[in-house]
Amino acid sequence: MSRYFSKSFLLFLFVIPIICIIYPSVLWVIGQVFFPFQANGSIVNGPDGKPVGSLLIAQPFTKDEYFQPRPSAASYDASASAPSNLSASNYALRDRVARSLGPIVVYSDGPKKGQQVAPDIEAWFQQDKFGGQPHIVAQWDDAHNELAQGWVSADPTHGAYVDDWTKKHPNEVSKWKKDNPGTPDPKAADLAVLFFETFSKDNPGKFPSAVSHQSADGKPVTAIEPVNQGSDIQSIFFDMWRQEHADAPLQDVPADMVMASGSGLDPHISLQNAEYQLGRISQKWASDTKRDPKQVRSEIEQMVEADAWAPFGGLAGEKFVNVLQLNLTLRNKYGQPQ
Amino acid sequence: MLHLWLLPAALIVAAVLVSIPLSKFAVWIMEGRYRPLPGFGWIERKIDSGPQDWKQYTAALLIFNVILFVWGYVVLALQPIMPLNPRQLGMLAPTTIFNSVASFMTNTNLQDYSGDVHFSNFSQIFFTISNQYISAAVGFCALAAIIRAFRGEKKVGNFFIDMWRVLIYMFVPAAILSGVLFIQQGMPMTFKSTIQVATLEPGAMGTDDKGVAKEQTIVFGPVAAMIPIKQIGTNGGGFFGANSAHPYENPSAWTNFITCFDMMMFPFTLVLMFGRMLRKMRHAIVIYGVMLTLMIGMIAWSIYFELKPNPGLTAHPPSVTYKIPSATAKGGFRELTIPQVAGLPIEQHLGNLEGKELRFGTVAGPTFAALTTAVTCGAVNCAHDSLNPLTGLSPMVGMWLNCVFGGKGVGMINLLLFLIIGVFIAGQMVGRSPEYLGRKVGAREVKLAVIALLVHPLMILGPTGLFAATSWGTKAEFNPAAHGFSEVMYQFSSASANNGSGFEGLGDTWGFNANPTPAPTSRQLDIAAGLVMLFSRYLPIVAPIAMAAFLGMKKEAPYGLGTMRDDTMTFYWLLLGTIVIIGALLFLPVAFLGPVADHLGPMPFGG
Repeated sequence: MSRYFSKSFLLFLFVIPIICIIYPSVLWVIGQVFFPFQANGSIVNGPDGKPVGSLLIAQPFTKDEYFQPRPSAASYDASASAPSNLSASNYALRDRVARSLGPIVVYSDGPKKGQQVAPDIEAWFQQDKFGGQPHIVAQWDDAHNELAQGWVSADPTHGAYVDDWTKKHPNEVSKWKKDNPGTPDPKAADLAVLFFETFSKDNPGKFPSAVSHQSADGKPVTAIEPVNQGSDIQSIFFDMWRQEHADAPLQDVPADMVMASGSGLDPHISLQNAEYQLGRISQKWASDTKRDPKQVRSEIEQMVEADAWAPFGGLAGEKFVNVLQLNLTLRNKYGQPQ
Repeated sequence: MLHLWLLPAALIVAAVLVSIPLSKFAVWIMEGRYRPLPGFGWIERKIDSGPQDWKQYTAALLIFNVILFVWGYVVLALQPIMPLNPRQLGMLAPTTIFNSVASFMTNTNLQDYSGDVHFSNFSQIFFTISNQYISAAVGFCALAAIIRAFRGEKKVGNFFIDMWRVLIYMFVPAAILSGVLFIQQGMPMTFKSTIQVATLEPGAMGTDDKGVAKEQTIVFGPVAAMIPIKQIGTNGGGFFGANSAHPYENPSAWTNFITCFDMMMFPFTLVLMFGRMLRKMRHAIVIYGVMLTLMIGMIAWSIYFELKPNPGLTAHPPSVTYKIPSATAKGGFRELTIPQVAGLPIEQHLGNLEGKELRFGTVAGPTFAALTTAVTCGAVNCAHDSLNPLTGLSPMVGMWLNCVFGGKGVGMINLLLFLIIGVFIAGQMVGRSPEYLGRKVGAREVKLAVIALLVHPLMILGPTGLFAATSWGTKAEFNPAAHGFSEVMYQFSSASANNGSGFEGLGDTWGFNANPTPAPTSRQLDIAAGLVMLFSRYLPIVAPIAMAAFLGMKKEAPYGLGTMRDDTMTFYWLLLGTIVIIGALLFLPVAFLGPVADHLGPMPFGG
């Protein structure tokens, strides 16, 4: 038996240097000598010659002048890749997708063809009726406790707003404590459901949102206030609006625009998605550069066409484009976005 | 849409074509007919401890694995003080280390950590790469010993020599070849850990407290050294948390093709090697055919269901009300109404894109999902947790059967267990004493086969039941209802099949020892899954070696008129039927509690 121990050690002694030192070194030499660009992460430089990113790793773009990548469950953190892991049965998936749809979806037919649905969502929201019952926010809160709690934890200002509300509503809070003896000292998130219930009754047709003001000394100040329009309402309540307007003809959005990738870092979007974003992008660049919108559009169309390709000549899938590559081309051609 | 089936078809054809010459080469190496490379002959003489009988071979295998366990534990525990760690990553939690060491030495590669977050390049090379090579070779050697025992040889070879042969003459060359192709396609190969880049749109990543635009920190490293052996050794433990979905770990449709091919290459080869070494090629081809049938079925199943849109986002028909028997309700029935749901305006003609990458092509995700569990690799190129409910059944079936080509050697070994039981059942049916390879299968062989076979369902269903029924599991579930149950069940199926893929929503990460907020039941999951992996690895290796040895010791009976032939279509159906029926008997109930209930249940589920 002891012989087997010594032979095992010997085997380790011979094998480990080969597989852990020689083998990686051989690949390292081949990579660094023959394929230095790929072996060092496919990093590309910006207009100023400094590295701006990797062609293989998605990075966020917020400006309307740029193509936007797929949503990322990892917040585009290239040191912690992750998928959303949400199953179809999880309402959180539908909620996330619906929120990104609300502000961008347009009518595909009818008198409002081509117009955004967002203003209609706001108008419907202000009526404050869902399924024949009053108080949309209270019903949303009741159906989706976890989303209500998620809102409270999403931002410290939200939590502070609820804490503030707690102080002003001692009666409701003490009743809640009586009903929930297990939580004698509730935090903001624990009270989320109760908060939205009363908020909805106190502020019909409104939802708490961040609003920017000019303060006395001219500096912008952001505070949470009840509002009856804006992106929160368009996104959070799009799914409920849709349930009451199931027959409204809406234009389909390319799936990869709202569905998150497996790594959170997918550097590509489908050609369909790029074409969907084209209108917004070319309009913006045309106004930035003060040029003819039609011409800018056809220029960008050509860029997209030139960049689009499908693996194995289209046998395995459909055409897609590299977001960073395209945006870099835009940046080099048109300069800094305004 | 027909052209979409070309990718899986091309993969299977490629693997079949390569397995034919490769199996010849494998026999040439394992039978020791080659001439060692200069200098290597000396090493072989040094590590050779002489011919071993089956008990000695098994002892050597187990002792070697004990040392492998210690090696892994030490390397991981020393991470904070070792080189190649510019990010100064700290000590991992003890249960995370235990789980990872058990996971990698058993060829499972279940990861309760994230490679890009928790491992330094030193750990990636000296822990991950070394284990991925060595654990794959162990299974390979076990199969070689079993084949020699079946041939009636008293001495079944020398474990250390076998290990050396597999590693040096098969895995290393194949890995270098794949590695070069991978680098050319964009996989990084560097010993640096991170690179900082300013984003093209300054401040798009947000700004810090002082209003300075944040940079994007990109983690990379010797990725192209790890991924080839991760795939060739059917290990599956990724360099990055997102595994083969990560653009650095799988940069293009080509690398995706090669990674798929790599994980199929040796499992396909080993079946033919079995036939060549036993001089029973027709018999091996029958087994090959059974495995191929099951694999094609699993791939077709998952592609079919994954090309459907994500049901959480589509419209659902007018509300349905079910009457459900209930003891407490009036009249003995209560009503359950599943409401009507309006669809969201999404163009889903590419199927369910949640958790998928675009560059591999439309069907690459479901194809990979079916393959990775069939050959017990465990790498994933899409988020299995986000697969459509019924698609998720395909990888589960792969793990439950665990013999559809299966892992290095052990897949073939598992099939032999089904085979012995199939032969036994057939013998009972016709009233003849069962035989295999011309030798009578006795009570002792069948007992050993059944023990080895039952370890697997016991190790899946036992812990799944325990965790699903208690807060150990329910607290870790990320998705609701039946899908949450699937997450727990998948975890233990994966651990017991030594697969390593996961419904990764499950909260099983403690990570660094200093982590202030570990997943609440990560400790329990780490330890339970770690133990499952160890039991389900070594029992099903040791028992079949013993079984093969006992069978091989018996006298070969002359071939007679009543002998059941093992190279006919009849035998194909017998084997296929045995696998499907035993598999269904063991796992249909959980299949219905998990993915099927998930599919039939209301979508989305609320929350």
